[in-house]
Amino acid sequence: METIIKAKNISKKYKIGKNNFVEALKGVSVEIKKGEMVAIMGPSGSGKSTLMHILGCLDRPDEGEVYIDGKRVDNLKNKEINEIRSKRLGFIFQGFNLIPTLLAIENVSLAAEYAGAPKMKSKKLSEKVLEKVGLKDRMRHKPSELSGGQQQRVAIARSLINSPVVILGDEPTGDLDTVSSDEIIQMMRQINKETGTTFVLVTHNPEVAKVCDRTINMRDGKIVS
Amino acid sequence: MRTLKNVFRKKIRALLTIFGIVIGVFSLVVMGAMAEKMTLLVGGGTKFYKDKITITAGDYSSIMTSPLSIEKLDQLRKVEGVKEVSGGVTMILDKELSSVQMGVPAMIEGNDGKGRELDRKDFPMIMAKGRELRDDDIGKAVVGIDLVKKLNADIGKKIKVRDKEFEVVGIRDKTFTIPDTTVRIPFAESQKMFVETLPEVLRANIDPSKVITGATVYAADGVNADDLAKKIESSVKGIKATGPKKFQEQVTSAVAIFNAIIFGIAMISLLVGGLSVINTMTMSISERTREIGIRKAIGASNNKIIKQFLAESAMIGLIGGSIGLFLGWVFVTIANAAGNESGTALFLITPRLAIGSVAFAAFLGIISGLIPAWHAARMNPVQALRYE
Repeated sequence: METIIKAKNISKKYKIGKNNFVEALKGVSVEIKKGEMVAIMGPSGSGKSTLMHILGCLDRPDEGEVYIDGKRVDNLKNKEINEIRSKRLGFIFQGFNLIPTLLAIENVSLAAEYAGAPKMKSKKLSEKVLEKVGLKDRMRHKPSELSGGQQQRVAIARSLINSPVVILGDEPTGDLDTVSSDEIIQMMRQINKETGTTFVLVTHNPEVAKVCDRTINMRDGKIVS
Repeated sequence: MRTLKNVFRKKIRALLTIFGIVIGVFSLVVMGAMAEKMTLLVGGGTKFYKDKITITAGDYSSIMTSPLSIEKLDQLRKVEGVKEVSGGVTMILDKELSSVQMGVPAMIEGNDGKGRELDRKDFPMIMAKGRELRDDDIGKAVVGIDLVKKLNADIGKKIKVRDKEFEVVGIRDKTFTIPDTTVRIPFAESQKMFVETLPEVLRANIDPSKVITGATVYAADGVNADDLAKKIESSVKGIKATGPKKFQEQVTSAVAIFNAIIFGIAMISLLVGGLSVINTMTMSISERTREIGIRKAIGASNNKIIKQFLAESAMIGLIGGSIGLFLGWVFVTIANAAGNESGTALFLITPRLAIGSVAFAAFLGIISGLIPAWHAARMNPVQALRYE
């Protein structure tokens, strides 16, 4: 199977205070195959979120190289990075990260508009995707009017709208009760199976790891297994 | 729509900011309307006087209009390069000028009609109603349109001018210049009226038909009016000749200062409004840091973020500008209506002022939004997402 994401020897330091640095990643190399569903686990501060941010082009490594679909991305200009983020990647976050003033459908279609789709087309497409995640009758509600599980399904719909090659999740079940959590896990697995979309999920939840194809364990900025 | 919604997320803050712009644009519109009116008056004046020389008595004082002998007209006619000379009387309409007087006071005018043909060539006098004054009219008057209300004038109606009754035979159409606030009466009657204003000692020895307050000299074709003015002053004694250049210099410098002060005041209030837009946008962006992070994570380019926030600040400017223009228009309309009673319409909102002030407000909004928007676009998505 071909490799969709490859990271070679990446390091990342964070400045906290004047002369105080935290080494979040210490030379991590990782390879993820197309269609894989991978969990990244590890205690808090092990660098798993930082790794996800770098693999998802939300942040850049200090050292090392990152490839997505064979293309080196860590040294790209902001404009090209935006293009990749919007067209090739999708994100799901712990706190759902929906825009509170926009309706569910607007939250989803915004991502399509940022990728360059016209407004009407974005709306139509969003309706379809929202229907697919089971929110057909909740489309015209604001996030605050939806339950946690429903909000996360809106976020999944948003991450799916541009048919990305990889969806990255940062604790996607972190704020959910077990019933909703199981729902979301099953939904992600189903999308992965049906569309072949690669999933990289940072998580504490062993239930998530259970359905994944494999688990990457991290400790102190390094991959341990 | 989305932009409008975002602007009004915090309603009170948005309204206060818009109010700041409203005040600025309001003062720009009101002050600007005053300046526009003034510019138009002066423009009309300088155009009218571009080939003419104004003659006044040599001992001209600003307190009272000094009389000039009608014999001077013949002396002026003899000067080489003079095409025609028209003598006349102009005096202020109100017996006592109120101390608080802005703009141009209403005037009474009478002249010998010698310059009428020449004047009409460049400045045709269009009548809104009735007819122009004729040389054989007695006890008749033509009223400028801005004085209709003050004098309660209409065709065939009697009006009182300095306690004398005149029958209105014509009302002049709007010119936006001095004739709008002038009553024209027959020459002989204006002369009598003027003599009555003089101190009693002088009055006894004066034949009213020999008195004028000033004259207009028309330069012959190809003669420089400014040179002619100098020549007139040196060859005719006891008069002051003002050529077009001098006239323009005097008036334009006065108007330039006036306009500078007016626009200065308006600009300061707009500057304050602009600062409050910067403040509002900065606050709104810091409140929405997380949202900006989300937008960037799902693929918004820096340009999209900048555009979003610039649209919001431009919207604030546009709304404020439109309301300011509307309030300014209401104020100007009321003030002009009130001014009409006394024959002084002070303000004029021209299309360029209306469009200009709203466009400027929107532009100010964009300028004020630039730094906050740029700041928002440059945020690191990871840090923005962590922001609580």
